Amino acid sequence: MNLVDNFYAYLWPGETMPEMQTYGNNCNSYLVAKALPEDKHVLVDPGMVTNEARQNCLDRLISEMEKDGIKIGDVGLILNTHAHPDHYGASEAIRKMSGAQVAIGRGDDDFLKLAGGAMAQAIKEMGFEFPELNPDFYLTEGELRLGQDLVARIMLTPGHSQGHIAIYWPDAKVFMGGDLIFHGSTGRVDIPGGSAQSLKESIEQVAQLEIEYLLTGHQYGSPGIIVGQEEIKHNFDLIRRHIFPYL
Amino acid sequence: MSSNDDKIKSALEIALEKAQKLGALSDEEKYRLKDEELVAAGEALAKRYLNGLPLRDVEAELAGRAEEDRRMISHHLLQHLLDRSDIGHIGRDDNILAAIQHLSGDPGIVQSIRDLLQKYESAIEKAKQENLSALEAAKRNELESMGISGSAVEPAIETSREWMQIQQDLDSHYQEQLEQIKQKCKNLTDSTHTATPPEGRENAIQ
Repeated sequence: MNLVDNFYAYLWPGETMPEMQTYGNNCNSYLVAKALPEDKHVLVDPGMVTNEARQNCLDRLISEMEKDGIKIGDVGLILNTHAHPDHYGASEAIRKMSGAQVAIGRGDDDFLKLAGGAMAQAIKEMGFEFPELNPDFYLTEGELRLGQDLVARIMLTPGHSQGHIAIYWPDAKVFMGGDLIFHGSTGRVDIPGGSAQSLKESIEQVAQLEIEYLLTGHQYGSPGIIVGQEEIKHNFDLIRRHIFPYL
Repeated sequence: MSSNDDKIKSALEIALEKAQKLGALSDEEKYRLKDEELVAAGEALAKRYLNGLPLRDVEAELAGRAEEDRRMISHHLLQHLLDRSDIGHIGRDDNILAAIQHLSGDPGIVQSIRDLLQKYESAIEKAKQENLSALEAAKRNELESMGISGSAVEPAIETSREWMQIQQDLDSHYQEQLEQIKQKCKNLTDSTHTATPPEGRENAIQ
């Protein structure tokens, strides 16, 4: 679904409870079309290959992209907001299909190493698997320049995970927040690497930005995209009042 | 009933048959079965230890066994821990080193492993210092040619093909030396945990 300019949104069904029950968990994916030379695309948070509800998440993403005339083979870069499998899981599979470069926040690399090393066996015995991820580069606070003239600001937004990053596109006023903030809610802080205090500080930092499109990592029974500066400001206020006290 | 139906037996029938056959086994066969049981017990104990069973509980379980069985299970437990150890991981797991020291009864073995690990880590660090700048510059150039640049970009050298090759070469070199230490440790316990031949084990097998 085209959002604005070259920005596309691929929301995982879950705006209603029946949808959540049917489709299970996966993240929303976003795409900036033709951001790189040779009209290659930038994909943010590709989600999983398959999820716990045995939904073929990657097949669905590919099919939704094709409806917009976008081929998975033309993805040139995958940016992951954090190292949770429901966000980065399909990265290596897409790399095989397209040869895309893969990136993630530097601070989540330790979590990936732990998940792939000492913790891997224990996690597997619990019935989960952490998909492989071999980043080509890490993202740190600063400027990400793409192609001739596209600039994104990479922000360190820890809280949901230690190395969580968010991507702000100032020209289009688009903010891709991963699992930092949702419509009327925030990311969990009870997963290893999570921190309530960091999450609050990250949200306050983001609240200073001029955002027209706030793109969240999940729908979780609410809209995945919040549009309009007033709506977005209202969402920050609501979270400060009703969520922060319980974090 | 078809001939195929005849082949379907309950677990109890199979167990009873095995028990009957056991009586008819030769000493060598009984010894082989016993040996298999002890290998399995050693491996199972190793897995439980790696999953967090404290060493004192391992020792308590071993103490509950007959002396001959205890020595054999300890031996197989140690073999399993050594087989699971490679140069890239053994240093991160003090548990394995603690068990190797305890079960081998030779602190020199673990000291040799620690010395080797120190050399390995120094060699990795040296290789990083020698190659880091060049690898980072090459990766930045590659990314720039794809239209990706900026202050937020930090090339991941440790997952680059070039670095992985350098690391693989170092791993092979030091793994070879680790294998020699492991073999020395196995030889040491082989000589102290040699199984008693069948004629001397009749009581243990019964």
